[in-house]
Amino acid sequence: MSNDELLVEASDVVLGYERNIAVKASSFTIPHRKVTTIIGPNGSGKSTILNAIAGVIEPLSGEISVFGRKPGGRHSEVAYVMQSLAFPEGTPITVREAIAMGLYPKLGWFGRPSADDRARVQRAMERLRVTDLAHRHLDELSGGQRQRVYVAQGMTQRHEALLLDEPLTGLDILSARTIDEIIHSERDRGHAVVLTTHDLDEARAADWVILMSGHVVAAGPPAEVLTRRNLETAYGLGSLHASDGDFLDDPHIDGDHEHEHSRHQHPH
Amino acid sequence: MDWFLEPFLLGFQQRALIGGLAAGLMSSIVGVWLVLRGMSFFGDAFVHGVLPGIAAAVIFGFNPYLGAAIAALVMVGGIELIHRQTALKEDTAIGLLFVGMMALGVVIISKSNSYTGSLTSILFGDIFGVNAETLTAMLVLGVPVLVGSLLLYRPLLALSFSATKAKTLGMNPRFTHAALLVLIATAVIASFQAVGTLLVFALLVGPPATAALVTRTIPQMFVISAALAAFTVWLGLVLSYYWGTAGAATIALVAIALFFVTLAVRPLFRQKEATT
Repeated sequence: MSNDELLVEASDVVLGYERNIAVKASSFTIPHRKVTTIIGPNGSGKSTILNAIAGVIEPLSGEISVFGRKPGGRHSEVAYVMQSLAFPEGTPITVREAIAMGLYPKLGWFGRPSADDRARVQRAMERLRVTDLAHRHLDELSGGQRQRVYVAQGMTQRHEALLLDEPLTGLDILSARTIDEIIHSERDRGHAVVLTTHDLDEARAADWVILMSGHVVAAGPPAEVLTRRNLETAYGLGSLHASDGDFLDDPHIDGDHEHEHSRHQHPH
Repeated sequence: MDWFLEPFLLGFQQRALIGGLAAGLMSSIVGVWLVLRGMSFFGDAFVHGVLPGIAAAVIFGFNPYLGAAIAALVMVGGIELIHRQTALKEDTAIGLLFVGMMALGVVIISKSNSYTGSLTSILFGDIFGVNAETLTAMLVLGVPVLVGSLLLYRPLLALSFSATKAKTLGMNPRFTHAALLVLIATAVIASFQAVGTLLVFALLVGPPATAALVTRTIPQMFVISAALAAFTVWLGLVLSYYWGTAGAATIALVAIALFFVTLAVRPLFRQKEATT
């Protein structure tokens, strides 16, 4: 794989918040134009990796580059979709305005949206099936509807890569199916998609997998990464009961995010 | 003679109205962000926190705006220091600085001969003592507060989601938060001479909170909040004239009363909307 086909290249990168290390020294790559899933137990550093790719946090040591550059910045071409549980309670903001926020990196503080920009917002609303919710408030939506709004915001942002933090966890069928379609159509358009998950099936269906356990245990194609040996390393011996289902840990006790998820099998 | 013109016939009454309107306008606009960002306790602490600076200025004879600005900086610096060096939540840091600065202010004032008078005028203002000089200062400080509150629309909206979201949208959350603190401090400093530090708070929180009850977008909230603030100041002065009560305190009382009246009548309008 040539370097210009890489979304992320990390060497000996250590990630964390202030003095707390969340991801110990890890080296890995993430390919461009592919769907990559990041899987691992609670608190294993999945979201931290996304934060580093988005440039929200800087490495404590080591190096990480996105499209060969330092991550982050207004023109990073990375759209980061947050979890549906996070929303500004009490702020009067409509679905349309929330989605149009995806234009901010292009428009800055004062730029006026062009007709093209407005069309982009409209298209994103249609693709995520939220057009009829345009004038609703964010706090009037279900978790699934809000997740679709946030993905639409990411689609509105000019991007080459889409980062999704547990986009399919706890969603209704329509929302999960809609977002799943987006993930695949993004790849078809030549964009990279990186998502975190608790679902082994989602990980298996991806093009590339990063297995986490406080560091990157393995990164590569699913068949090479999701071996019994690797999974036992990540989740501990005896934690894996392949016949029991596809969840490797309990999403109800989520150390990464401290909120509840309901179990969900999404259609792959 | 119209009953509502009579309270504003004299020059000092007109200056009180203009000063009150200026304080109400800037406080109610920047107050929208204060309310939306859930920073009311910070705002409360802030209006008390400037007390020692103003008190020192009054007693040692330097510019009270400068004194208030220094006190505001000490306050924010102290909160930031606690936040960085300890695991304590922000409201604890705010509380510590709040009571500390307030106490320091009272200690400084207690050294003066006119203890009660100075304290009362700083806390509750002297709206009928507003002169041309005060009005000029309000104008000079008020315009940047109004313009800044509107210019920060996108970064503050992004920040209302989270600092992470704001950062990924290229909206610089650290600068935005600092800029909002400066705007709040400026509104407090510009207004305290007219309505007093305590009652600036009523105008910072009252009209925006009332507006939040009846609006569905932030731009609507700005408009309604500013209109409510203007009405509050006018009605407060009219009532204080006829009742013979303290001007600034009456204004503050009107601001809070309007909130509860709106809260009480809101269900009636909702029912009407639902049935039509």
